[in-house]
Amino acid sequence: MDRVHDLVILGGGPAGYTAALYAARSGMDVTVLEKLSAGGQMGLTAQIDNYPGFPQGIDGFTLGQQMQAGAERFGARTLLAEVTAARLTGPVKELETSEGLLKARAVVLATGATPRHLGLAGEEALTGRGVNYCAACDGMFYKGKTVAVVGGGNSAVGDALLLARVAKEVILLHRRDTLRASSIYDKALAEAENLTIRWNTVVTELLHDQRLTGLALQDTVTGETDTLSCDGVFVSVGRAPATELFRGQVTLDPAGYVQADETTRTNLPGVFAVGDVRTKPLRQVVTAVADGAVAVHFAEEYLAQQGTP
Amino acid sequence: MKAMDLDLRQFQSQLEQDKPLLVEYWAPWCGYCRRLGPAYEQVAQQYGDDLTVARIDIDQEPALADREGIDLVPTLILYQNGKAAGNLVAPMSKAAIDGFLQAHLPGKEGV
Repeated sequence: MDRVHDLVILGGGPAGYTAALYAARSGMDVTVLEKLSAGGQMGLTAQIDNYPGFPQGIDGFTLGQQMQAGAERFGARTLLAEVTAARLTGPVKELETSEGLLKARAVVLATGATPRHLGLAGEEALTGRGVNYCAACDGMFYKGKTVAVVGGGNSAVGDALLLARVAKEVILLHRRDTLRASSIYDKALAEAENLTIRWNTVVTELLHDQRLTGLALQDTVTGETDTLSCDGVFVSVGRAPATELFRGQVTLDPAGYVQADETTRTNLPGVFAVGDVRTKPLRQVVTAVADGAVAVHFAEEYLAQQGTP
Repeated sequence: MKAMDLDLRQFQSQLEQDKPLLVEYWAPWCGYCRRLGPAYEQVAQQYGDDLTVARIDIDQEPALADREGIDLVPTLILYQNGKAAGNLVAPMSKAAIDGFLQAHLPGKEGV
């Protein structure tokens, strides 16, 4: 495969396919590398109500498919492939994938960030069926129900408080005996009558039939085990950007996100970062699609400066 | 070739064929099954000459799903010579399905 693409986009979420749409519409030869299916993280979101233009909301999988179809209408291509190595420093970028080697003059990194998982058996398959990673997205499904939240940082406590306003009962499970969350939450925690905290507790198993039915727990101090019946669990133990492949080439921030400002330009010429993988204050579908458009604007400028090979 | 939907009777008859059979046990309420769909269809196209690629809705065939020990969906089971030769729960990528098939189908490296 000696062909050199104008642009290869790593990741088929909203940022990636918006970049593909803009690139294809400006006449670039563009390929999206996606490991599973369009949509990225939003592909598992049952209902998106904060992306404008859909008065009844839309499910994330359908929105992803439509973004893909929109980009492909103008000639963008999709390759279902996993990238195993990326060489991004030279003028021709090389991507080793499960479907062979690809070369490109410019690359858009749209690999996203994923919530950290508990790492328990069945977690992937139970996602959306009792196992959740976003209280702001999925909290409403647990109106009047019992939910557990796992974590002890600001986002876990914020999620627990948010859920306490909708759910019947919220149990915050934390593996230590103090919260890492800032003390500004203390008053709200004390006032939430339907919220309890179980200290020194880890989840050892997800109990389920077709959906989650409860959690097997273990006390980290005494070693005692227990089960907790609940309708859902919200895992709030941080997020991990998918940047391991680029470490050492692209500048990352301490949390592992790709350093890039609003131009989406990284430290490497011809390499742009869009969507959740980029350092940014708000990670949403709307901010992801905006990045995609901006990246292609600067990629075009970059390619024009490079001249035609 | 597209992935075909099977009921219990069709499953039994496919199981008796010489061609290995790959089944995705899925359910309409399973979001991850939907996400797997495009990659699974591509597997059906790519491996169709050597493999029958099919889907079984566990809500339609609960007894079969129970008999096959389906605990979570999506679960992929590869049947060879009428018997389950391996299974894969909720693969994260098309490459993961490729890897699974190549490990179980002799001579299929680099398909």
